[in-house]
Amino acid sequence: MKMTAFKGVMAVAGIQLITATMALATDITVWCWAPEFNGAAMNEAIARYTAANPDTKITVVDFAKGDLEQKLQTQLASGTTEGLPDIVLIEDYGAQKYLLSFPGAFEPLTDKIDYSQFAKYKVDLATVDGQTYSLPFDSGVTGLFYRSDLLEQAGYKADDLKDITWEQLSAIGDKVKEATGKPLLSIDINDAGAMRIMLQSAGSWYFNADGTPNIKDNPVFKAALTTWVGMLKNQNLYKSVSGWGEYTGAFNNGDVAGVFTGVWMTGGIKGNNMAGKWAVAPIPKLDGVEGAGHASNLGGSSWYVLSSAPSKDAAIDFLQKVWASDVDFYQKILVGQGAFGAYLPAREGEAYSASDDYFGGQSVWKDFSDWQAAIPGVNYGIFTNEADAAVAAQLPGLVAGGDIDAAIEAIDAQIAQQIQ
Amino acid sequence: MNRLISLLAQAGLWLAAFISVFPFLWMITGATNTANDITGGRFLPGTNLLPNIAKFFELVDAGQVFFNSFFVAITGTALTLIVSSLAGYGFEIFASKTRDRVFAGLLLLLSVPFAAMMIPLFVMFSSAGLINSYIAMIAPGIASIFMIFYFRQNTKSFPHELRDAAKLDGLKEWQIFWFIYIPVMRSTYAAAMIILFMTNWNAYLWPLIVLQTNDMKTITLTVASLATAYTPDYGLIMIANVLATLPTILVFFLLQRRFVEGMLGGVK
Repeated sequence: MKMTAFKGVMAVAGIQLITATMALATDITVWCWAPEFNGAAMNEAIARYTAANPDTKITVVDFAKGDLEQKLQTQLASGTTEGLPDIVLIEDYGAQKYLLSFPGAFEPLTDKIDYSQFAKYKVDLATVDGQTYSLPFDSGVTGLFYRSDLLEQAGYKADDLKDITWEQLSAIGDKVKEATGKPLLSIDINDAGAMRIMLQSAGSWYFNADGTPNIKDNPVFKAALTTWVGMLKNQNLYKSVSGWGEYTGAFNNGDVAGVFTGVWMTGGIKGNNMAGKWAVAPIPKLDGVEGAGHASNLGGSSWYVLSSAPSKDAAIDFLQKVWASDVDFYQKILVGQGAFGAYLPAREGEAYSASDDYFGGQSVWKDFSDWQAAIPGVNYGIFTNEADAAVAAQLPGLVAGGDIDAAIEAIDAQIAQQIQ
Repeated sequence: MNRLISLLAQAGLWLAAFISVFPFLWMITGATNTANDITGGRFLPGTNLLPNIAKFFELVDAGQVFFNSFFVAITGTALTLIVSSLAGYGFEIFASKTRDRVFAGLLLLLSVPFAAMMIPLFVMFSSAGLINSYIAMIAPGIASIFMIFYFRQNTKSFPHELRDAAKLDGLKEWQIFWFIYIPVMRSTYAAAMIILFMTNWNAYLWPLIVLQTNDMKTITLTVASLATAYTPDYGLIMIANVLATLPTILVFFLLQRRFVEGMLGGVK
């Protein structure tokens, strides 16, 4: 009897202790990938937030990107919310898939965040039925990174690379190869990133706003495919590579003279010992396509809050206080990680306007800011990966001389079949 | 003529051996090079081994990660050996009408892929409050149908006379199992141990789903996470791979002789 009473007292005390600690400390869990990039930026944000809110404990858990998506998918599908994080990073191309497949799983932030302060295309891609769900993080604004020393040998100055078309870039590739012996680009024919860049640069995508395929009667798609196949046919233009390692290795080793890609590659490029030998130009544009410009996007991701999260309110407060208002924070992660935020006021900060000696004194961040503001918003839909695969399947045949219209029919059919 | 055939056979074997060993060589030399050397195709050992190691230990809480991996692999292996060998012993020794039906049912379950069980399993562990625990990582593998099958097959070569003699001497069933069966079947156990240790050590999908925090992560998950940087540091990834592979290689070499005996179904 005595023992039971004692146990009862202990149990009550235990419960009180638990509730007491819960009231005191708030735990927020964040899932992301790429610890040296996303994780490091998040940790900087956490340091700033917890300095003012010492009772909040925020933990970053990093997984490989594919793993994180699999975990998230499994748990959302299982219907159990236990163990889900409070904040999760999702790649922009996949945003609509999660928002539409798991309605109610993510917390709308429309009333909590001032979205006019963020790059519009990033807001659009996380909006469903008028509700926006993301805290837009890093931008994938594109640029043409090139070795200014090698291009100079071929007789090109910075101005010669501005306002050109993809065909002109291909011609420049011929000259560079002739003068330096090195191809201008490294290309993995299985990577459809170039198609995505070209499509968005003209405000188009694989899909219409309602999610139906936009392939067959899409003049931009045809122009992009024709242009890309034309470039692939020019063997002088590029070194053919297989996989991400060879692709990045080619320009990091100095085997090729440049790369057109997202701004997040800047950190990798600056990791080589080639200060003063690099520069960035806007990407070329699609010739003869109405609305085509020099601004586009590749990749990028955003933070989302789970509706089921126990510390939801604290998580939103954290995003508001740092990610949606701290200009200085964005300067820090820009310098530290090369993380280029979609928060527009950040561009007024010091780091964004600084010139960079690695890029020969060019104000690269300011340039990227200008280009970012011009990126057309498009609806990525749910099946971007499937569309990529359908395009990649046709490319070898096209390079070998296949008919472009027949290939477009085949791509359209494959996508239509996969998204049924 | 015979010599020529033998020489050709030798050359073929050398080639096959080289192809099998090459990934390991590449991994080891890669661990001593920088990321740029590796993507540039350098095969010679480089001078970046120490910086790679330093970076690994800076980025990864190695003590915790290896403890998790070892704890899960060793406990998982030990428990699976006990449960599955008991079951295999039982299935073979005690004849009954229902036995073969139950066993056939078990074998049928082998055809259900893990992906189909993943979500129900997750819901189960979640409602038991066991998400993100060692138990969750270890428990689903303990009653391994494959291992029960393996032990049952090998028990067929266990001499029943030994059991009969032990019974006459007054040993109880658990004593027969413990003092007679296990020592006699040690090669079978050794082979099973290698397979189980490797399976547990390399387990990926289930730990990935069920683990939620950094302090619970195993080395396989850590390596995968390192490999997804926007510009991956291949030197770092290679040193992580070397460290992740070492324990399985050690276990294999320690038990190699018994492994071969065990796979051949030997009873000593």
